[in-house]
Amino acid sequence: MKFAPLILKHLRKNWLRTLSTVLAMAVCIFLICTLQTVVDAVNYGLSLGNASRLVTRHYVSLVFNLPNSYKNKIAAIPGVQNTTIVNWFGGMYRGDMKYFFPNMAVEPERFMEIYPEIMVPEDQKQAWFHDGRGCIVGRKLADKWGWKVGDHFQLESFIPPYRVGKPFEFIIDGIYDTDTVKYPGTDLTAMYFNYKYLYEATGERAGIGTITVSIDDPKNAGRISKAIDAAFENSDVQTKTETEQAFRASFIAMAGNLALLLNGIGLAVAFTILLVTANTMSIAVRERQQEIGVLKTLGFPSGLVMALVLIEALLLGLMGGALGLFFAGGAIHALPSVPFIGDVVRQFPGLGLSPKIVSYGLGAALLLGLLAGLVPAVLAYRARITEVLRQV
Amino acid sequence: MSATEAAAKTGAVSVQNVRKFYQRDSMQIKVLDGLNLEVPPGEFLALMGPSGSGKTTLLNLIAGIDRATSGRVVVAGTDLGPLSEGELAKWRSRNVGFIFQFYNLIPVLNAVENVELPLLLTSLSRRERRERAMTALRIVGLSDRYKHYPRQLSGGQEQRVAIARAVVTDPTVLVADEPTGDLDAQSAEEILDLMQTFNKDFGKTIVMVTHDPRAAVRAHTQRHLEKGVLTN
Ligand SMILES: Nc1ncnc2c1ncn2[C@@H]1O[C@H](COP(=O)(O)OP(=O)(O)O)[C@@H](O)[C@H]1O
Ligand SMILES: [Mg+2]
Repeated sequence: MKFAPLILKHLRKNWLRTLSTVLAMAVCIFLICTLQTVVDAVNYGLSLGNASRLVTRHYVSLVFNLPNSYKNKIAAIPGVQNTTIVNWFGGMYRGDMKYFFPNMAVEPERFMEIYPEIMVPEDQKQAWFHDGRGCIVGRKLADKWGWKVGDHFQLESFIPPYRVGKPFEFIIDGIYDTDTVKYPGTDLTAMYFNYKYLYEATGERAGIGTITVSIDDPKNAGRISKAIDAAFENSDVQTKTETEQAFRASFIAMAGNLALLLNGIGLAVAFTILLVTANTMSIAVRERQQEIGVLKTLGFPSGLVMALVLIEALLLGLMGGALGLFFAGGAIHALPSVPFIGDVVRQFPGLGLSPKIVSYGLGAALLLGLLAGLVPAVLAYRARITEVLRQV
Repeated sequence: MSATEAAAKTGAVSVQNVRKFYQRDSMQIKVLDGLNLEVPPGEFLALMGPSGSGKTTLLNLIAGIDRATSGRVVVAGTDLGPLSEGELAKWRSRNVGFIFQFYNLIPVLNAVENVELPLLLTSLSRRERRERAMTALRIVGLSDRYKHYPRQLSGGQEQRVAIARAVVTDPTVLVADEPTGDLDAQSAEEILDLMQTFNKDFGKTIVMVTHDPRAAVRAHTQRHLEKGVLTN
């Protein structure tokens, strides 16, 4: 590019102006990219929340159980498709809390229907269905302890009704995986076993901790939750039903609003910076009226003169974009440790300067440069030699 | 060789019945009103006259940076009237060299880069451009200052760089608007010497606007413009 010296020397000569413009643009790109990442993470989090599953539990607290009869009553409520008992067993491995992993008593067949993210080979699944003391464990848990299908282990619960004087003995019938693309965020460190084992081992004293309910349409979650709770309104034991990830969902919605607000601020800042940069560029070009007149006199076509101004602006945008992305990269890696927002973004896979964010940032930077350079470029295009070069 | 081509090579200037009006608010200013001027190729013409008489306006018409309201301007074999803006720009880059009163060098470029500027519009290679620019600087006696920036040069030196820039594309016509107007007597003499050299040794047609009598005597011919009319 033989015109490069002309552009670069202007940028270098007015290095202070170049620097401040580049920094302003960098701030802008930094904000846009960082905020966009937060927004992406929030949207991702919202997509994770499975709203087509409800959890019914004791109205007062999770430590109280529901009567076994509730299961059938819930199953009869319109919109309810399937149900499974899910009891938090509270079993300790090797009698020590430090080896803790989540372990739950469930109804295997129904559980497998309701939780498609828990993926077990068919033969292992069938073995589990027909094995009273069988269980399935997550891939990560199995790897941690070197477990294979057919291995035995023991758990002893710390929950009083489940303490029956001797540990529960389990056989590993299956090891479950998941589809991390379709079901990211699935816990691969948990263990599930047959509720019937718990029920019988406790002398049929075990109640229902929670009931997971699958429903026909996530849109009906609110209505069905209310219907379930209403069904037990006048009973001794009342229930509380919410979507499986209600807390997370409401939490994410809050974060989403915050992200929206931040994005608004980001846009406002970007717009301000655009105005300031455009003005700076205009001044820079107006100061150069004489040069523009000389170039045109020498035969530089107006289009070329305009292009030179535009390229200068685009170059400023590009430098600002690169710098902004550099800082955004650092900020995005620091996001998980930001309170509140951190909880939302942490589960976002591959958190960092994604190609999408980089192209987004560079695109915005070039657009910013283009917009800032547009008016000066058009002015340069239109400048008439006889007017800009008139001497007294 | 056709007559037009011959004229192109020799750089004749023909201004025929040219009118140039400016519109300012509702007032029409008639700067030139039916002016005729013939400059034979190889001529060194001094255009004199009081301030505001229309000298710059006429020079701009000849140089193809402004258009006549009516009449014909034919320079170096080309009738400038029908040319589009783009064609006119291209024509200027090949046929005319410009020398201004205030030099009009680009401050961020050094001497050789300034001289090279018109060559950027040609298809010459980087090396050829640099060689030609250095040659032009040598002719004006500034090859040792090629890396100097305009602010590091005296007025006379700046004008010499400007002359190098004007001749580097080897145009047939040089136009100069008060080229010594901003210079001390000594530098003015050097500039006029150079212009004479380009006229005599390189055969350039020169149209020079000046109201400095010492400059005018260097030309072959002096014409006087008064209120838009040539008086001699
Ligand atoms: N762009 C313009 N718009 C309006 N009036 C102009 C313009 N350029 C020149 N003039 C007028 O035309 C007249 C001649 O100007 P000019 O050719 O610059 O004179 P000179 O160079 O002889 O001093 C002056 O009255 C000047 O004010
Ligand atoms: Mg003048």
